[in-house]
Amino acid sequence: MDYKFPKELKYTETHEWVLLEDEVATVGITDYAQHQLGDIVYVEMPEIGMIFERESIAGEIESVKAVGEIIMPLSGEIMKTNSKIIDNPELVNSSPFEEGWIMKIKISHKDEIENLISVEEYIKVVESEEA
Amino acid sequence: MKPQTPLIFTKQNNLASNNYIPQLDIEETDDIDAILPRKYRRDDLDLPNIPEVDIVRHYVELSKINYGVDTGIYPLGSCTMKYNPKVNELISRLPHYSQLHPLQENNQGALKIIFELSKCLSEITGMEGFTLQPAAGAHGELTGLLIMKKYFEYNKIVKKKIIVPDSAHGTNPASAKMAGFSIIELSSNESGEVPLDQLEFAMKDKDVAGIMLTNPNTLGVFDRNIKEITKIVHNNGGLCYYDGANLNPMLGICRPKDMGFDIVHLNLHKTFATPHGGGGPGSGPVGVVEKLIPYLPEPYLITDDKKIVCREKSKISIGRVKAFWGNFGVLVKAYAYILSLGAEGLKKVGQCAVLNANYLRIRLQEKYHLPYNRICQHEFILSDKNLPNGITTEDIAKRILDYGVYTPTIYFPLIVNGAMMFEPTETESKDSLDAYTDILLKIYEEAAKNPELLKNAPHNTPVGRLDAVTAARNPILHD
Amino acid sequence: MVKLDFIPHDQKTIQQMLDVIGLKSIQDLFHDIPKDLILEKLDLGAGISESDLFNELNEISKKNKIYNSSFLGAGCYYHYIPSLVDFIISRSEFYTSYTPYQAEASQGFLQAIYEYQTIITKLTKMDVANASMYDGSTALAEAALMATRITRKNKILMIEGIHPEYVEVVKTYCWGQNINYEIIELESLDSKLDEEYAAIIIQSPNFFGDIEDLKVIVNAVKNKYPKCLVIQVMTDPTCLGILSPPGELDIDIFVAEGQPFGISPSFGGPGLGILATKKEYLRKIPGRLVGKTKELNGEKEGFILTLQAREQHIRREKASSNICTNQALCSLAALIYLLCMGRTGLKDLAYQNIQKANYTKKKLLNIPGYKILNNKPTYNEFLLSCPDLDSLIKNCEELNLLPPLKISKYFTHMINVALVCITEMNSRKSIDLFLQAAKNSTSEEK
Repeated sequence: MDYKFPKELKYTETHEWVLLEDEVATVGITDYAQHQLGDIVYVEMPEIGMIFERESIAGEIESVKAVGEIIMPLSGEIMKTNSKIIDNPELVNSSPFEEGWIMKIKISHKDEIENLISVEEYIKVVESEEA
Repeated sequence: MKPQTPLIFTKQNNLASNNYIPQLDIEETDDIDAILPRKYRRDDLDLPNIPEVDIVRHYVELSKINYGVDTGIYPLGSCTMKYNPKVNELISRLPHYSQLHPLQENNQGALKIIFELSKCLSEITGMEGFTLQPAAGAHGELTGLLIMKKYFEYNKIVKKKIIVPDSAHGTNPASAKMAGFSIIELSSNESGEVPLDQLEFAMKDKDVAGIMLTNPNTLGVFDRNIKEITKIVHNNGGLCYYDGANLNPMLGICRPKDMGFDIVHLNLHKTFATPHGGGGPGSGPVGVVEKLIPYLPEPYLITDDKKIVCREKSKISIGRVKAFWGNFGVLVKAYAYILSLGAEGLKKVGQCAVLNANYLRIRLQEKYHLPYNRICQHEFILSDKNLPNGITTEDIAKRILDYGVYTPTIYFPLIVNGAMMFEPTETESKDSLDAYTDILLKIYEEAAKNPELLKNAPHNTPVGRLDAVTAARNPILHD
Repeated sequence: MVKLDFIPHDQKTIQQMLDVIGLKSIQDLFHDIPKDLILEKLDLGAGISESDLFNELNEISKKNKIYNSSFLGAGCYYHYIPSLVDFIISRSEFYTSYTPYQAEASQGFLQAIYEYQTIITKLTKMDVANASMYDGSTALAEAALMATRITRKNKILMIEGIHPEYVEVVKTYCWGQNINYEIIELESLDSKLDEEYAAIIIQSPNFFGDIEDLKVIVNAVKNKYPKCLVIQVMTDPTCLGILSPPGELDIDIFVAEGQPFGISPSFGGPGLGILATKKEYLRKIPGRLVGKTKELNGEKEGFILTLQAREQHIRREKASSNICTNQALCSLAALIYLLCMGRTGLKDLAYQNIQKANYTKKKLLNIPGYKILNNKPTYNEFLLSCPDLDSLIKNCEELNLLPPLKISKYFTHMINVALVCITEMNSRKSIDLFLQAAKNSTSEEK
């Protein structure tokens, strides 16, 4: 299967992508993840202002046949969530890295960035899951 | 194709007023405000008034576009859709059962049914005490897991995890969570069985309360190591829970107690032929070994040979899981079923359930992929691996509906991609199984020669394939 | 001898089938089972014929007493059941079917469940109702769990007056998930409530018959703690023929026992758990939901199980609830009942219940020694303080009346107090007999 793996992003083993811009991280789920879930019907996003630790569950993505958890790639405060995907959750399927972004976090522990994996490492994760 | 049936609310006729209840025969008070002030009363009541004849026609119409066991073969795996004896319906409707109030004192007949049914279920499973309070299998699972929780709490041992195989029915982990446990999932090996080394390793964790298993499992496979499995769990201080959804092939053949289980739940609407009702009511009795009897929900029945009475409240009971006694109307039917079959009949059920499943399997496996190529018990799995032209399990299922019969369970268990789980049950005749096999084989031919027919199926049902995505994105749940 | 086992094989057929499979005997089917686990024989009787079965079960049933009239409610109620209800739920296309996973072959039942969901929303004026829970008690327990999921808080406040068996069930479920609870008097609500509570639970009409002023109570709660949910529970929802619906009272989750809607008492089960809520809590609702949708490649409307991603068969340990089989056939019975009764019928029914209960209360007050203990308006149940309740009960039994509940069964300090229930099924004649029984239990002969 041909999935998109944008090179400029960082990833997690739980299939989130992260776009780092100074203090702010934009987070979404990967092309592989949206494909596994199927047609997405609803995204439950955290409230703005909530603070989560890295690896905790910030929200959920529901498809017809499955539910995926949105795991915080880094600790921080939720600054913004993507209101477009409330009425149009299908954007997460059609444009997972752009219009289908989920939330923006104010990073509280910059050293945690080391835990994110590179695009090459993430591709390996996907390959081993597919095997 | 028939036109759709409009909703019943379109049949409103504001002039109509059916006349069912007794005439008011006492002097009413004129001053309703005095007995129920205005502020408590509603302004309007938006229920339709519909003439009885229109209600009848509407629901007769709907019944005609609904498929049941009485319509034809219904081989849903792990559901045990066997024939529901009609005499049991009559018996449950006898006024001396159906008109009983749960809190009335003169209830020895009802208590006798509960008590005797418990005894029968004990004999069938080997368990020493039963509660018939849970209303369904999942409810029974919750009850059984709460018993486990209480057992450890009372013995001042902290246990927060339950082992569940990856082939388990979804209610298992869901029930475990409702009982406050988290799950450790074991990966079944290539034979579909629990790997003993993984189990040993998992049980080394002192936090593990025990294991939840069904045997035969959802792959239709009898785990040959079952005695070792329960021994390993016991040796490490754990308890063993048996999900009785798959008990049908074991009736009169083998007992969960002998396999080493401590707690069992049963599904009366599966194994004991009470009707599925379109999704209930069911009943999920829970049986336990003697040391766990004090933990069973109250009330628990005992006898002093003259009367059936409730035991003195146990200080370590888990409490109630439901108001009153349980789904008594369902219990009566299950008891009647057991009496009519007797020991020999029940054994024949176990034998023929397995016979029928293997007979169905044997010709189908010539064409369809069979992930576990061995003698199955009451059910078996096929998958959509190697189907021609990219045909999926869903396509096959929808095409089966075009032939006027029902599908197997699909996409479960999760460990087989594109799983199709077939459980014909013992009440299907050889001819019925032959006809069903012919249909499945014909569909295979169609998949090869005319795949579009399957991809766009069903064609012959009241509606075609439905849009599940929009239904979940923008749910419309009432008019 | 032919046995009643419903297995359509004779020995010859069984042998043919074994040949096709490639096995010699039936025992070979079980060769995976360790030999020492194989049973000799179950210690149960021999099977019996249908007529013998019927006779035997009929005889056992006669060990139960049925009465000419009932004065007992307390969570299970005698209301008239139109004959149409049983006629429709006896259609085997409905009752021998299972959960409608294959929507295209189950449009009949799916539409019926959709209609049930609709009629419950009309009756309660709540935004959405699910397809059913097991009964009122478990629906209440699940509502409590639902409230903790929505609010992410771990405490529940129960107001006194909830059916004692329901309280026990809520306690069991809460203990399962380490949720704390407290039971308080209504008067203490204002002082006790704080922002730590996920929800308050209040029964109205309550176990003792009192109709609470929910408008005032809910307003008070929401003004102070807008995030605290209010759960209303009801054991006889026929009162909605006359009482304000929960949707107009800002109730967040409404649960009720649906047995009064066309389901026989049947010794307490099966019943019907009704659960309805506000639309913002839709995705936290437990249980099945049927939605309306269109064909993928056509214009027809159809019905389908939806939002299944909340349920156990997909979410597994993350499911809202473990519920799978629910009470589908009972929800069909309730639907037919409500359609038969209609607006006019249900209004009449509720009105009759109140009038007859009121009539009985007035007449009882004329008998020395009897007191009505309710200070609030009531529906069809009330608390009666008696000079000698045991004697009243004995007299009722002799007159073939099902006596009212001895409240001390649940509240040991309340001696000589009965919970009396009067419905449209209590004829004037039976009420008069009850009054007679009451009079006779005050006399000195004993």
